[in-house]
Amino acid sequence: MYGNPVAYFFSCIFVMIAHISMLVNIYYNGNYDSFRSIAVLGAAVLILDISYFIIILAFKQRSYVLDFLLILILNMSVIFQSCFGKVGFDTKHYITCIFCLAACKCGYLLCRDHKWICDKKKYIYGAVAVLILITLIFTSAENMWLDFKKFTIQPSEFIKPLFVLACSTSISEQQKKHKVLFVNVVYENIALFILTAAICLVQVHSHDYGSLPTFLSIFAVGFLLRICYPKAKFSKKKLFAVIACVLILLLIGLKYAPEYVQHRLHVDIWSDTSGDGYQQSKALIAIACGGWFGVGPGKGFLVNVFAFDNDIVFATVSEEWGLIYALMMVMVILVITVIPLVNPARSYFHGTMSACISAALIVQMALNIFGSCNLIPFTGVTIPFISTGGSSLMVCGFMVGMLIACQSPVFSKNAVKQEETSGPAWRWKE
Amino acid sequence: MKSIKRTQHIIAVIILLFIAGMGILIFKLVHGSSFYMMNSDRHELGLVYDRKGDVLFDGSGRGSYPENYFLDVGNLIGDDKGQMDNTLVARNIEKLNNYSFTEGLNANGKAAIYTTLDHAANRTVFDTYGYMEGCVSAYNYKTGEILVCASLPSLDVTNGYDALPYFKSGTLISKNMYGTVPGSTQKVSTVITALEIMGSNKLYSKSFRCTGKYTNKTGNDIDCHNIYGHGTQNIQEAFENSCNPFFAQLIEDNDMPLDKVKKQYEKMGYVLNGADPAYIDINGIRCETASTTLEDPYEFRTQWGCIGQGDTLVSPVQLMMWQSAIANGTGKMTMPYLIDHVTDMHGTVHEKARTKFSDQLFTQTTASAIKQIMLTNGADRYTYLIPGYKIGVKSGTAQVDEGLKENSLLVGFVDDPSFPIAFCILIEDKNSGYITTEQIAKLLLDNLKNNF
Repeated sequence: MYGNPVAYFFSCIFVMIAHISMLVNIYYNGNYDSFRSIAVLGAAVLILDISYFIIILAFKQRSYVLDFLLILILNMSVIFQSCFGKVGFDTKHYITCIFCLAACKCGYLLCRDHKWICDKKKYIYGAVAVLILITLIFTSAENMWLDFKKFTIQPSEFIKPLFVLACSTSISEQQKKHKVLFVNVVYENIALFILTAAICLVQVHSHDYGSLPTFLSIFAVGFLLRICYPKAKFSKKKLFAVIACVLILLLIGLKYAPEYVQHRLHVDIWSDTSGDGYQQSKALIAIACGGWFGVGPGKGFLVNVFAFDNDIVFATVSEEWGLIYALMMVMVILVITVIPLVNPARSYFHGTMSACISAALIVQMALNIFGSCNLIPFTGVTIPFISTGGSSLMVCGFMVGMLIACQSPVFSKNAVKQEETSGPAWRWKE
Repeated sequence: MKSIKRTQHIIAVIILLFIAGMGILIFKLVHGSSFYMMNSDRHELGLVYDRKGDVLFDGSGRGSYPENYFLDVGNLIGDDKGQMDNTLVARNIEKLNNYSFTEGLNANGKAAIYTTLDHAANRTVFDTYGYMEGCVSAYNYKTGEILVCASLPSLDVTNGYDALPYFKSGTLISKNMYGTVPGSTQKVSTVITALEIMGSNKLYSKSFRCTGKYTNKTGNDIDCHNIYGHGTQNIQEAFENSCNPFFAQLIEDNDMPLDKVKKQYEKMGYVLNGADPAYIDINGIRCETASTTLEDPYEFRTQWGCIGQGDTLVSPVQLMMWQSAIANGTGKMTMPYLIDHVTDMHGTVHEKARTKFSDQLFTQTTASAIKQIMLTNGADRYTYLIPGYKIGVKSGTAQVDEGLKENSLLVGFVDDPSFPIAFCILIEDKNSGYITTEQIAKLLLDNLKNNF
């Protein structure tokens, strides 16, 4: 992409046309007082687009696809959030999106050299431990946020990218086996298992059962890639046994889950539309009202329902913009996770990292969309990039930065020399 | 490269699972959207029509109708106000909504339900009751179309519910769908059971004596309505005389083992001895199935139940449905329906009704024998009361409110292939007025015949 300025230019145009078409939709179908509202929103969105297109050139990446997708979805999010209820400009969300873009670049810079980040594993474990302690000490089941008066932070969100890094591994790491009681073990795998257990316990302690599947999905993918790397002698029987154990543990967990969790699992939303089924029933009614093409930006009624802009944001978008727009929004996020399939990572470490990130983003999105639409129990997690929430947005941005790092890695000098002598970059081996 | 591919496979699997989930979600959203809309406060309801195009319910609220125009169908067709939940509109409100996921709500849509009811006949029968209460149901036992289904007292839904505290008991339900003490109409079931167990010849060979009262083997008295007794009778005579002592002795008879009686009753749809209630579905409307107590053939309660008193309950619609199994001569009930077809918001016809039959309740031989018994009863006792029709009937008098009141029932069928009507008529507290079930039956059949 970098080597092709024409493609870069047209990608920029494509993103801007997508945003302009949304603004045109608002002009014709939206609920606004004056044209000035649309003009302000449009100016803010396009300025952010153009600024980002210019700034990212400074990073000299091999691929900018993920940057284009990120700015596309973030400004879609700004437009959606600014229009809920009535067309205006959601300054707070706009600023949060800028932080998200900055976090993306931080993620890229920190993770592009896998050797360097691998060497920092102990600090990653330490950072997770610190965040766990902060979560345990300063937050509770009733309030999961740290209040800094002007803004709040959810510390448990920041565990996610660190946990992804902890789960990521290289083949050489997996070959450092030690014999313990007739069994060959990798010490780091045991450490990771303990870390996962600690994170899960903290989530249960915080009653944040929504994030639990996200962490477990990251661990599951990381664990699978640890035991199934090509040189591992791990039979399929053992693999199935592990999966069976996980399923049994899951069933036991569901059976002995607290009463309010059991209630959530079995609630019939249509017989309790004013209680536990309130948000979901309203969300489904709103989607039905919106149909394929929506009632128009700013004309929905779901804005009167609690958490319309995060927990049930898929329904709010569906109602005002139509199911087609909501599906396009989902598709853009999905394409972000598909990129590692089109443009493979250059190292096993980056490969495991991209798999863990894809799992985290997709599981989180699935929990939100399927939960708010009553396909699975409602957990109240956010949709990456779309829902409001600074912590969530920054973490998602950081994780996209990590994905970009997988596309545009920087190798250590020796490796670069090896790469230069041994062939194309994609043939690089650890 | 193989190692990187492994990471890609995992991503691909997760993405495919998510896409599959989204596919299911979209299917669910599109197909469930009508239901979701019905749970909102945004409706654009269409109309319900009778078989000739008379409006029975106007969801648009734009029509103009005479006072009490909907009175005779108020508690059957119902409305969308939520006061009545076992009505045609309440149970099929999604079909009436002018909504589609693609087009949204359309106030000028053509969503409608076309029923099988004959509003004119229904109204005539309803009005005949005057100040008396009860219910009437009649249907075509060949096709299953319900033609008349009136229940008194009733309400005109267009008048609203301001007077709800002053409504008489039973105003908000169609009594046709709820259990009532069947009286001697229950003897139809008992005769069918006897025919199934011992066969026609053996049953006709049995005779029992009635002296106006029978003291059963456990010492309880079964009274006959004829205090002088009917003397020695066979099954045909006892059926026509509606003789309680005969049937008590029949239940005690060694050729009527209780387990076989219970089995046959269950086959006919009875819920026995306090088991969980069951329902018959008529286009979403729940119709209670029969229930009785069969514990000991020598005990009063069981005998009294088989005679149709005590805690035996049967809904008039089910009594009518049994008549179809007899009239058709097949032993299979014709399943009744109220909705002939439905149109969507574009006027396209959907859900065209089809005739369905129940499982075999009894053999064709039994059906033929009981049919003959009922036709003979009709010819002997009802020719002058309901002239002009070859009918098989059974009347009944049910003691309710601990014997303080008596309800009058009449079940039967017209044995005419060109006019295949089965019916059930109930007059509550029959001594409170002068209308008889036979008068209503005559009026009912005349009205249906004129428009058939």
